[in-house]
Amino acid sequence: MTVGQGNVVDATDAFAQQQLQQHLQAAMQGDVQAYQQLYQKYVGQVYALSLRLTGDAALAEDATQEVFVQVWQKLGNFSQKSQFSTWLHSVTANVTISYMRKQRGWFQRMFGLDSANEQQITASESLDLSQLDKCILKLPERARQVFVLHAIEGYRHEDIADMLNMASGTSKAQFHRASQLLQEWLGDDDQ
Amino acid sequence: MTTNKSQDSLQQQLASLPKDVKPGRDLWQGIELAITQQPSVADKAKPKSWMYGAVAASILVPAVAVWLSISSLSGPVEPGLDSAALIAQLSEQYESQKSSLLVTYQDKPALTDNWQAQLTELEDAASAIKAALKQDPNNVALLRMLQTVYQQQIDLIERVHAPKWQQI
Repeated sequence: MTVGQGNVVDATDAFAQQQLQQHLQAAMQGDVQAYQQLYQKYVGQVYALSLRLTGDAALAEDATQEVFVQVWQKLGNFSQKSQFSTWLHSVTANVTISYMRKQRGWFQRMFGLDSANEQQITASESLDLSQLDKCILKLPERARQVFVLHAIEGYRHEDIADMLNMASGTSKAQFHRASQLLQEWLGDDDQ
Repeated sequence: MTTNKSQDSLQQQLASLPKDVKPGRDLWQGIELAITQQPSVADKAKPKSWMYGAVAASILVPAVAVWLSISSLSGPVEPGLDSAALIAQLSEQYESQKSSLLVTYQDKPALTDNWQAQLTELEDAASAIKAALKQDPNNVALLRMLQTVYQQQIDLIERVHAPKWQQI
């Protein structure tokens, strides 16, 4: 990259950052159109995380909507000391897990299911997913959640244990299980 | 060796995992509907017109009940204070609220199939109470029952149509 190209990239980044700040400030003042701009920018990231955590396209859509509604309500809690995307990912992880927990409770109440795992959770075939994503969606729920939070989102096992109400040792074991399964499945696909 | 290879392969795929996945449908419409019906962070700080309405309603409803209670004890309704008109006004307010909710949720899928049957039952109950109130317009217990049945209708419509995130 030449010095000139570098300057253009820096200027583009600075402009994008400035625009993000403007949309953020306006959204915090209740500007729905500015919030829509934030939605357009981040919906892919939020949906990707929700989809990987839930393993179900429709559930992830609902969870994504829930995330953006809650973020709208919680914009005042965003300190601006951290990156907006970092905060958004954290809200997304927590809201999606909470959503799944409550959804499971609702299904149990309505249909007497012992576990949400008994539902045939499927990912939409229409989504354009990478091979790894397809395999992640096939993982058992707990293993999938731990893998996504640790390997993709970078959470520590101690934090994951708190989020998922499990021992940190269980989180490590689930991560190991997920890694093994993924390596096995990806290896099969390569052959 | 094979394990290391597959671990490396997994790491490589993780490193190139796309940050974005596009949802299969546009989710903004539902979000916009939800956030425009709820106060934003900025809105929370300001007193809203509906708050004044709520305060007025909280004063008006007990006032009506107290007035009915007093009038039931003190004999015939005074001229100019028509309890039937007040009940009709109350009914109209609830019906209007119910209608606007039904319009709002008309394109949204309901959680249960039999909610309309449940709503019809509640509407029948409201009609029966209103018929009883016509015979006994100063009966506070009946008025309270009517209010409860109306509120149950509103709660039912909201519960079965609210976005899933609000039900969970």
